[in-house]
Amino acid sequence: MKNIAKIFVFVLFLQLIQGCNEKEFLQEAPKDATYADNLFLSYDGFLLAKNALLAFPRKERSEVILNGEVGQIWKIGTDVAWAISELSTSRGLNQYTTVDLVPTMTVLNGDNSNPGIFLVLYQTIVSANTIIERAANPAINWQGSTPAINDSRKSEIIGHAKLIRAWAYRHLVMTFGAVPLNVTEINGTNFRTDWRRDPVELIQKQIEEDLLFAESSLPDNAKDVTRLSKVIAQYYLADLYLWQGKNYEAEQKLRAIVTNTNFALITNRYGVKSTLPGCPFMDQFYSGNIMPTQGNTEALWVFPDTDVDLALGQYANAMRRGWIPTYYNKNIAYLPEYGGRGIGREGITAWALSIYEPKDDRYSSYALRRSYVDKTGATLKCDSTASKMVTNANLWVCTRKWDWTFADPARWGDSYAYGDQTYIRLSDVYLLLAEALFKQNKSSEVDGAAYWINKVRTRSNATPITAGTVTLDYILDERARELITEENRRETLYRTGKLLERTRLYNPIANGTRNGVAGMQAFQQLLPIPQRIIDANSGYKMEQNPGY
Amino acid sequence: MIPLIWNKKCLRIMRLTILFLFVGLMQVSASLYSQNTKLNLDFHNTSVLQVLEAIENQSEFRFAYSPKYIDMERKVDVEIKDKSIEQTLSLLFNGTDVNYSISDRHILLFIANEQAKPAQQKKSVSGKVTDSSGTTLPGVSVVVKGTTLGVITDMDGKYSLSNLPENATLQFTFVGMKSQEIVVGEKTIIDIKLEDQTVGIEEVVAVGYGIQKKRDVTGSVISIKSEQFQNAPQTTIAQSLQGKMAGVQISQTSSSAEGNSNQIQIRGVRSITAGGSPLIVVDGIPYSGILSEINPNDIESIEVLKDASSAAIYGARAANGVILISTKKGLIGKTTVSYEGYYGLDVMAHTPEMMSAQEFYNFKVARKGVSSITIAEQQEYAKGTDTDWLALATRTGKREQHNISVSGGSENTKYFFSGSANKTQGLAKNDDFNRYTFRINIESAITSWLKIGTSTQLGYFGRNGEPANFASAMTTNPLNVPYNADGTINFTPWAGDTFIKNPLEPLVYTSEDVARSAVSNNFLQIDFPFLKGLTYRVNCGYNYRYRLYELYVGRNTLTGSQLGGQMQVNNEGKEDWTLENIVTYNKTFGKHTVGFTGLYSAQQYTEKFHDLTATGFPADYMTYYQSKVATAWAPTDSYTKTATISQMARLNYNFSSKYLLTMTARRDGFSAFGTDTKFGIFPSVALGWNVNEESFLKSIVWIDRVKLRVSYGVNGNQAISAYSTLPTMSGQNFLDNNKKPLIGFYPNKLGDPVLGWETTRSFNIGLDHSFLKGRLSGTIDAYSTATENLLLNCAIPQINGVGSITKNIGKTTGQGIELQLSSINVRTKDFSWTTDLNLSFQRSQIRNVGSYDANGNPTDNIANNWFIGKPIGVIYGYAFDGIWQAGDNIASSWMPTAKPGDVKIKDISGPNGVPDNKIDVNDRTILGKTNPDMIGGITNTFQYKAITFSFFINAVKGITKYTDYNNTWVDGRYNMRFRTWWTADNPINTYPANREDSNPYGAGYFGNTNDGSFIRLSNVTLAYKFSPILLKKLKMNNLEVYVNAKNLATLTHFIGLDPELSSDYAVPFSRSFLVGIRFNL
Repeated sequence: MKNIAKIFVFVLFLQLIQGCNEKEFLQEAPKDATYADNLFLSYDGFLLAKNALLAFPRKERSEVILNGEVGQIWKIGTDVAWAISELSTSRGLNQYTTVDLVPTMTVLNGDNSNPGIFLVLYQTIVSANTIIERAANPAINWQGSTPAINDSRKSEIIGHAKLIRAWAYRHLVMTFGAVPLNVTEINGTNFRTDWRRDPVELIQKQIEEDLLFAESSLPDNAKDVTRLSKVIAQYYLADLYLWQGKNYEAEQKLRAIVTNTNFALITNRYGVKSTLPGCPFMDQFYSGNIMPTQGNTEALWVFPDTDVDLALGQYANAMRRGWIPTYYNKNIAYLPEYGGRGIGREGITAWALSIYEPKDDRYSSYALRRSYVDKTGATLKCDSTASKMVTNANLWVCTRKWDWTFADPARWGDSYAYGDQTYIRLSDVYLLLAEALFKQNKSSEVDGAAYWINKVRTRSNATPITAGTVTLDYILDERARELITEENRRETLYRTGKLLERTRLYNPIANGTRNGVAGMQAFQQLLPIPQRIIDANSGYKMEQNPGY
Repeated sequence: MIPLIWNKKCLRIMRLTILFLFVGLMQVSASLYSQNTKLNLDFHNTSVLQVLEAIENQSEFRFAYSPKYIDMERKVDVEIKDKSIEQTLSLLFNGTDVNYSISDRHILLFIANEQAKPAQQKKSVSGKVTDSSGTTLPGVSVVVKGTTLGVITDMDGKYSLSNLPENATLQFTFVGMKSQEIVVGEKTIIDIKLEDQTVGIEEVVAVGYGIQKKRDVTGSVISIKSEQFQNAPQTTIAQSLQGKMAGVQISQTSSSAEGNSNQIQIRGVRSITAGGSPLIVVDGIPYSGILSEINPNDIESIEVLKDASSAAIYGARAANGVILISTKKGLIGKTTVSYEGYYGLDVMAHTPEMMSAQEFYNFKVARKGVSSITIAEQQEYAKGTDTDWLALATRTGKREQHNISVSGGSENTKYFFSGSANKTQGLAKNDDFNRYTFRINIESAITSWLKIGTSTQLGYFGRNGEPANFASAMTTNPLNVPYNADGTINFTPWAGDTFIKNPLEPLVYTSEDVARSAVSNNFLQIDFPFLKGLTYRVNCGYNYRYRLYELYVGRNTLTGSQLGGQMQVNNEGKEDWTLENIVTYNKTFGKHTVGFTGLYSAQQYTEKFHDLTATGFPADYMTYYQSKVATAWAPTDSYTKTATISQMARLNYNFSSKYLLTMTARRDGFSAFGTDTKFGIFPSVALGWNVNEESFLKSIVWIDRVKLRVSYGVNGNQAISAYSTLPTMSGQNFLDNNKKPLIGFYPNKLGDPVLGWETTRSFNIGLDHSFLKGRLSGTIDAYSTATENLLLNCAIPQINGVGSITKNIGKTTGQGIELQLSSINVRTKDFSWTTDLNLSFQRSQIRNVGSYDANGNPTDNIANNWFIGKPIGVIYGYAFDGIWQAGDNIASSWMPTAKPGDVKIKDISGPNGVPDNKIDVNDRTILGKTNPDMIGGITNTFQYKAITFSFFINAVKGITKYTDYNNTWVDGRYNMRFRTWWTADNPINTYPANREDSNPYGAGYFGNTNDGSFIRLSNVTLAYKFSPILLKKLKMNNLEVYVNAKNLATLTHFIGLDPELSSDYAVPFSRSFLVGIRFNL
């Protein structure tokens, strides 16, 4: 008995001493996650990274950083738009109050649940950097049958990454001025807390480099929403050159687009509502008409969406709810006719509503909604004169570009929209071309600024103009008429140096008239660097924009 | 006089009863003494007398017998190792007619069936023994000093002895009483009063991988026994500990039937962002489950290891302290069947003052103008609608628990079985918690050297039913309509606006949420036959928990009607195993005792979740059994695994129970750390000095016990999640031309590949004391900690593509003082009053968060609210300085655009550190802190005969807390707490005007209304214990009834819902009233 015991104990002891293979036992092998190291090995992996990257610009029309579309920060507080329901997050941008438009505002910094504008844009940049840097690895299997195919796959992937990186830097530098320039992948060992702001010129140079590469490597294709066309790169190059005063270079890029036969203005009725009363201009905004494959020749860049609940790739679009007023407060039922549910975050200024000819399709009841019928059958008209630009105005003339709701009546009151949307349109390119030509004193009605402006105007049944009418302000007015609620107006006005002047001239809230206050000041043309960035940049004291 | 056997047994029962009644709570562990004490004897051809003396020398057993009947000179051979006293005696008197009776440490030897023979009367003495209050004491051992002659007092406390030698001195000893010696002299009657002895000193406490006598413990260990919370039962044990233990802060952050939202912090916070929860060990095995899934009735005792030394044996996870939970074990003896049960009702303790329909209407008109009242609101207002959503979402709660246990044991096998059922219905409708547990605790000696055992709980936990959406129920507009005329849920409570969902919808969801678990801790122990004192033990813990959550949202709700039904099924499996190899060796030579404990252990935790959400069904009737006919699915899966490897060595040295030394070293490896940083080593040392054992103190009569303890050591914190060092990518998807999903990934996390242990060094000095014969006893501890290489989620500039990363940077320090005092204020024959008080003072400082200025001094990290030299967890922002009033010179102030009624912000600083008559980011300041300065609890217990009345008060001081009451932004659609706004007619200085812009800088804290300090009358209990005489007739050992009331009153300045609750719009705390009964057969 004693011997058995001894042997037993001895065996247990051996086990104790031997233990297990510690290294193996403590090795981590997650099964439910993806890592850069196992993603960026082949073309398939790069395509997955590209998909995520394509989804970043789409966030501009969702509510990821504030209770309204992200793009709101480039729209309200300009000559064309204001915040109808003025939240603490939007008051500073709406009124330019110095207590609200501050470095600590949540839209810039984010809070517990929202990321903040810098995070959204730099996340985009770092994602792009990672793709660009990893694509340089010669060991990647591009899965093509020939080296030429491999090369083109690689450069098209990099082209997408550089285009979207340029998109993000453009937003940053036009909104905040000098910002840190980073073109490397960030990992757990090279992240920095001593970022410095790089000069605007340096970032412009990077944007140009990226866009030129994208132009050379992206397909000349208009029909696939997942393969961005080179015309987008040309569009942003022109935008950059106009900003830099390189009007001739801008003209060249824009001409490349307008001569690209893949694209044409929508001048005739088409698509899902073509048999109903309407106008060609509005046809391109109807669900079912927006994808290039559905006959839309005017779109340069389209954001697809789906109304299938739970579908991966779906995103909650906030444009409709933002731009349609809170008509339900007036005893009006939610109806597709009224675009679905609106919460009136943003409104078009009284001035912007006043600059149309009555016969302009863009001013027609197909393009703007001016009245509602309530549950009692009474017709309620929107009074959108300047004196009615008061907070929480329940009825306000609104664009119908973003009308979208579910087919099921039970969901007409749903919060968000899930329809496709165009992000850049050809008419925008025409107006940029007009600007490039005008700045070179080429305003002619034959092939000058007036010619391209008239193309846009006549499509919508507006009276053509003469060369003598063209001024920079006229072009900006025309952009407002054509691109209202689409255009990131703050950036356009900043680029043309007109932000302070036109905002103070046409927006009675932003210029302080309504509230009897100072209104927008020159320093407020640039928004403050988020305090969070300055605070977290503990290794170097990053300077704030002047005035804040 | 030597009683007959029948009397003996009766006496034993009586003694136990008396012991229980009079010695009280602290002493209960003493009854374990005879079971727990192991004897080692090796005698050959030695007299019984010598053997008994040897037993007396190595233990605290004392024998009483009559030499007249028992042959003490009989020669015996005894060779036993680690045997209980029972086993020893049965061996020693095997084959003789000597019987024995063990009452705790007192053993009476007697001859079965012997007859009282006439004695040769030399000299006799008799008398009566009572306690200090005059109550007679049966079972007192009366022995003639220097002899083995003695008796035990009878049921009336009487004794008589004859055949006394000359110059006899009588020794009177009794458990819990101070022994006395009386010289007999010429006296023939000696009546004596025994004084209470200091109790507690011989208490045995669990110290991790073993138990120790309390007087040999060198670390700061605090212990609570089941008797201390059994008359104020809670659904989860954590709530029972609230306010009871110095240095242990438990706050209940939300109110529910289950009562499981408890934040437990031992000695405050050290870590800034890593987890601060203590390690919980159940029956020796780390427990990663939910505390409310342990049946509180099964718990025998709870020990908290607070200082570095005592916790060091759990080095890896010990930095936040360790809680050891020991479940009940069977005892040798007759089978005991016990029942414990209670039934109670819960009502809302404090109803928040929401606005009524009229108040809401008036407020909204005042705020936004009469035009802001929508037509739907106007209609309901006209109808007189005034919906009290809170009332509709709540009910009177009920709670009941029934627990039956059967325990007992023989020499070889001890067992404890229990079954319990708990049914708790919370205040919120549908907030139900059902718990059924079954426990088997068995310990069995297979051979003299091999023992096996298990301590296993099987559990079923039901959390069926969805409560109302509470945050929404408390904020839904009182002018909204909850039900249709037919009593069904109104989909559109705000007529015409489907955006406003009915918060009561969840009440009609179909749902099941059931978890089943097995928590099984098993051991095998070998007492090496060839080397005395050497033991090898394998502990094998296995926990498995499976939870199935099923939800169906049907067309009787708005969501369901819109989506065509929505189902959700969560499959969650968790598995946790631990294997521990433990070698212990104990050896005593002379006055030296050494002990060694060695450990090699491995633990692995795996979690697998497979969840599915689906929508769009043809009909509702198949509820969550119809995913195959859904039109859309969104499944998610997750897999988590962590592994830990540990080695530990502990050395104890004890000189004459006077000087004590404990040295520990532990090496731990944890999988979630970086490849080269997985291991950490954690040493500690502790010294103890039982000062009262020194001769110079022995003469001071009022000192019973004084022990000084000092410890220093290093502990680790591994509180990060699996895969923290790995840079996982996040999903972000897109769509193709045909709206088919395109899966995408982007980098959204930074992983530091060299992430390793957060380590805390701490120093502890403590004093255990007992004065005035136990009238005043307690413990005082002071500690200081320094935590380095913090596992810090640092905010980094978002320019890096992410806003934070977990790094090992920074340092914090902490200090604290803890007092745990008990006093017996009054003790008379029928009445006693005792007070138990604990107080903890704590503070922390941030020393370094990884950034430095040009001179190398650590700098603040404002983005995270981390300030050098300031506590962990501060609130930072603009400081409220009252309200601008009409008479103030606003135009020339630092807020020139302010209007009367606006919040006034303090102009604290400009860029140069001096006020600059301007408000900007430089004016932000520290407004308060989120961890208290002081926590404490006091229990007063009054006992009059069999009636006990006690009340417990819990207090927290020095905490600042946000409440939504300070949110002056108003949506206009939702209700909120009623508030008195500033008006020109009522120019208060505490709250701004009812305007959108009246709080321009968004100040969130308005002075002392945000002071989260509170004093709460948490428990009041009245208990009655039936008399032993009645019980004897009922053949019961014990019968007790009690009534208990919880949360009766709270004193606080805090204006939010409750200073403990984390949300203002959540289920309020309940006030409970319950009755309970406890008996055993």
